[in-house]
Amino acid sequence: MTATVTTPAARGGRVLTKKSVVPWLFLAPGLLLALVFKFWPMAKGVWLSFFDVRPFLGDKWTGLDNYTRVLTDHRFQDAIGHTLVLGIGQSLGAILLGFVLALLLEGQARSLKIVRTAVFLPAVTATAVVGELWRLMYYPTSDGLLNSGLHFLGLGPVQFLDNPGIALWSTMAMGIWIWAPYNMVIIMAGLAGVDRSLYEAAAMDGVSLWQRLRYVTLPAIRPALGIVLTLAAIRGLRVFTEVYVLTGGGPAGSTEVWMTRAYTLGFTRNDIGGASAASVVLLCVTLLLTVTVNHFRKRGDVR
Amino acid sequence: MGDRRRSRRLAAGLVATGLAFGTAACGAGSDSAGGDPNTLEVWTRSNPDPAATYERVFAAFTKKTGIRIDYQPVINFDQQLQSRASTKDLPDVMINDTALMGSYQSQGLLKVVDPDSIAGHGQITAQSWSSTVGIDGRHYGIPYSRQAQTLMIRKDWLAKLGLKAPTTWQEMLSVAKAFATRDPDGDGKADTYGMVVPGSAQNGYAAWWGASFLWQGGAKIVEPDGKGTYRAAMDSAAAVDTVTWMKDNLFCGDNAVTQPGALTAVTSTATNFQDGNAGMYLTGPYNIATFDQTLGKDKYEVVPAPAGPAGGDVLADGENIYFGARTGKTKQEQALAAFLVSPEGQKLAMTGENQPVVRIPVNSTLDAATVRDDPRWSVVQKAYEDASQQFPNAPDFAPIKQDTADSLNAIFTYCGSDVRSQLGELNETLDGDLKDQDLLK
Amino acid sequence: MSAPVIDPVRTTVPQPTARRSGKAQRTTPARFDTALGWNDRPGTAWGLRILLCAIALAVFAAPFVAILSGAFTKNASGSSLSFLPHDSTLLNFTVAGERGIWDYFANSLVIAGGGLLLQLVVCTLAAYALARHRFRGQALILTLFMLTMMLPEEVIAIPLSLVLGDVPVVHLDLKGTVWGVILPLGAWGFSVMMLTEFMKDIPDEIEEAARLDGVGELRMLWQIVLPLCKPALGVAGVLGFIMIWDQYLLPLIAAKDPTDYTVTVALSILRTDPEVGSGVVLAGAVIALVPSLIVYLLLQRSLVTGIAAGATKG
Repeated sequence: MTATVTTPAARGGRVLTKKSVVPWLFLAPGLLLALVFKFWPMAKGVWLSFFDVRPFLGDKWTGLDNYTRVLTDHRFQDAIGHTLVLGIGQSLGAILLGFVLALLLEGQARSLKIVRTAVFLPAVTATAVVGELWRLMYYPTSDGLLNSGLHFLGLGPVQFLDNPGIALWSTMAMGIWIWAPYNMVIIMAGLAGVDRSLYEAAAMDGVSLWQRLRYVTLPAIRPALGIVLTLAAIRGLRVFTEVYVLTGGGPAGSTEVWMTRAYTLGFTRNDIGGASAASVVLLCVTLLLTVTVNHFRKRGDVR
Repeated sequence: MGDRRRSRRLAAGLVATGLAFGTAACGAGSDSAGGDPNTLEVWTRSNPDPAATYERVFAAFTKKTGIRIDYQPVINFDQQLQSRASTKDLPDVMINDTALMGSYQSQGLLKVVDPDSIAGHGQITAQSWSSTVGIDGRHYGIPYSRQAQTLMIRKDWLAKLGLKAPTTWQEMLSVAKAFATRDPDGDGKADTYGMVVPGSAQNGYAAWWGASFLWQGGAKIVEPDGKGTYRAAMDSAAAVDTVTWMKDNLFCGDNAVTQPGALTAVTSTATNFQDGNAGMYLTGPYNIATFDQTLGKDKYEVVPAPAGPAGGDVLADGENIYFGARTGKTKQEQALAAFLVSPEGQKLAMTGENQPVVRIPVNSTLDAATVRDDPRWSVVQKAYEDASQQFPNAPDFAPIKQDTADSLNAIFTYCGSDVRSQLGELNETLDGDLKDQDLLK
Repeated sequence: MSAPVIDPVRTTVPQPTARRSGKAQRTTPARFDTALGWNDRPGTAWGLRILLCAIALAVFAAPFVAILSGAFTKNASGSSLSFLPHDSTLLNFTVAGERGIWDYFANSLVIAGGGLLLQLVVCTLAAYALARHRFRGQALILTLFMLTMMLPEEVIAIPLSLVLGDVPVVHLDLKGTVWGVILPLGAWGFSVMMLTEFMKDIPDEIEEAARLDGVGELRMLWQIVLPLCKPALGVAGVLGFIMIWDQYLLPLIAAKDPTDYTVTVALSILRTDPEVGSGVVLAGAVIALVPSLIVYLLLQRSLVTGIAAGATKG
């Protein structure tokens, strides 16, 4: 029995060997569950996007009608800008901050464990609750939590959520606050796997801290960074819950993102076909983005 | 050899699964729970507390008629309904907002109702019955509970400042300013506001709250033209004047007239009245119990809404009883409806230790204030009977309400906006909504 | 100095895993323990670290002090939110309890516990296949798993609700059972993706060495690969638990009646209940966040405990 794995193609076999069946056996439970509970409903959802959905009376085929309507709706078009700003800003901010936090709080000390647990609290709290909390913290008069802090520093009260110019940034701040600890955890797992003797070797070579960070640590946590980047690509444009619980898309539509628009379309206006079309558009864009991110990751891979 | 057999079995298994999925998925159709003719499946959109009241009502019904009720207090009502509609198996009876009738009817979810088939139908006023007429002139629901908005106002603050409850817009404005500036709670801090406004565009709240002002200003959102079609009416002079007045006086002028964050508040977040730092709240009567608990009966009073240039009409809404289409249990459903609108059924729903589910009874032999032994309810009942208008019940009003709310919210947020042109744009959007429903004149 | 890109995975010879016992068996000095080289000696670096940690605490944890204080305050609202409760009372918790929050809590526990178990098993198996084997369609399968994360929940909600009511082939009605919530969560793209990434990182030499010893697939997974992936398992465990615990739409769809709801659904009911003030919602939130916090505490060790210095991972 050879020590290396050979592909069936290399051996020129049409025969399904034990080796090539085994991975499929391992994949089977996952694929089965995903098929029944994710792909099938997903396919149905995509299918519905081509119809005027009327569950009881029977759906009416409308072809690309829903797509045209969605893409030419000026409110959806406005939402694109907000989605991009929020998605990119939130993702990058959370990755950066998560990385900094991971570097800061790495270590075995008891006190660090406590700080890490405290910093991780945003990630364990339900998003709806976090939204409620921030809505309370953002209270627009000087009695509000954040405003009284600003008052202490001599700054006037800010209308965080009521000023259409600021509301998007306020939402982004909350988003970064939620996701940074999440990323911190993933990056710390990556940092944990870095071979300590490399640090020692680097020190012996007289490498500065900054260079060590750049040339030893960063490459070592490439898998972890890759994960957070991919997650950012997948989730960034999908941003919904944070906006929905904090501002509902207001004030005056200044925080409306693609999915809040789709949600309103589907459940306030009962246009499920339109909502599905909007979601499929988002799905395609996300897919494209993820594939691109993955492509660049593979290109940069040393292996 | 064993490999080949195993692998063949695996391949066969995968193919079989794929085929099975394909065929089975087409033939799906859940076993309906409604097989038993003597059981009705009833849905209401209720939290656990009001659900307890419903259970009592249904228990009394079962005791009286022997028809069992499978009661589902559904929270995720619309989604569940859609998924049941997909399986063509609708609940037998649904109790939900009046405003949803147009939407449900256009989706084919409702049975036509003949008022004469409901025992005791004569006890429901013509006004209430007229609010369940659909596009084609037939009834699609049975009135169950009604309400109208009234003004809740801090009478201790009025007393302290030597003011009377306002009866016109102008008076309301001056009272609001007084509440905001003259420290009515006597704590020496400028922490009070005139009026609570749920002004967010979310879920159409800005339109729901603002409708009373529109009616009082003589404006309408959409107007029927008597031939079964409608046209948008938000570009009328009355509408422009009213919206301009609201913008200048409530949102863009003196900021303390409304609570902070009014334009992003929904009813569950606009709690300033019960928290004790705002003096007035134009809202429905379902809050009376909450206010009694948090503020205390002696601190506030219920008065009719202040009148505008065209009168004192407020927004009325409520709940209807709807019959699911094609459930085949018409007789039982009619029996339930008859019980629900009977004096006994309505009284059960209005009283008890849990949250009542009927506010103003549709049964005209009952008087809300007497049943509840609380004279404040007669203010609400009078408002409903004499000075209220519902949103038009025939169209699917949800998109119209949402578009109106979006527009109003934008106008109030951007103080420099040109009301006339924005309302003109709204009108075009509303015409588009009506056209989508084939209702445009 | 020219900086060759050091490939941290390939430069040293595989060695057996050193057994760790706290700090005693350290083979490298403390300042090589972390990426930035923190050490315990007082000095400007140490002081800077303390300051930064304090800021981090203030930013991330202070709002929770506000939640806690609000949960214990009688009439919490936006204008009265602060770090110390005034009118402190346990009333909010009592009210939340009256509304049945503990029953929902129990539901959540069962679902999250069972769900996490299923998820870890399923995703580990799948990741093992994707990371340690080569076969046609590998990239596609991984993309498929990631695809499951891309479509917004709301869109598949209604079709999923139909599937749960009548599962294809087996014609089971999963509504009203915990399986209705657990099964759809079994294949989580994030877990698969992350475990695959970390498993890929394991050097081939180890696997080859084991295969020479005649180790079968399952043993390979259980005894060789998994122990080397502890940090990844820790992350998958914590984040998986949290993901399942936080589910809102799925328990709502899968529920047959309100007794099936989980604590997150209960929280949103509390929020929209006009009789309930912000204080009760905050009390509910405090109750809801405790289990996730506990899971995090339990798994923290595996999250940051690296494989022993100088050992196999390198």
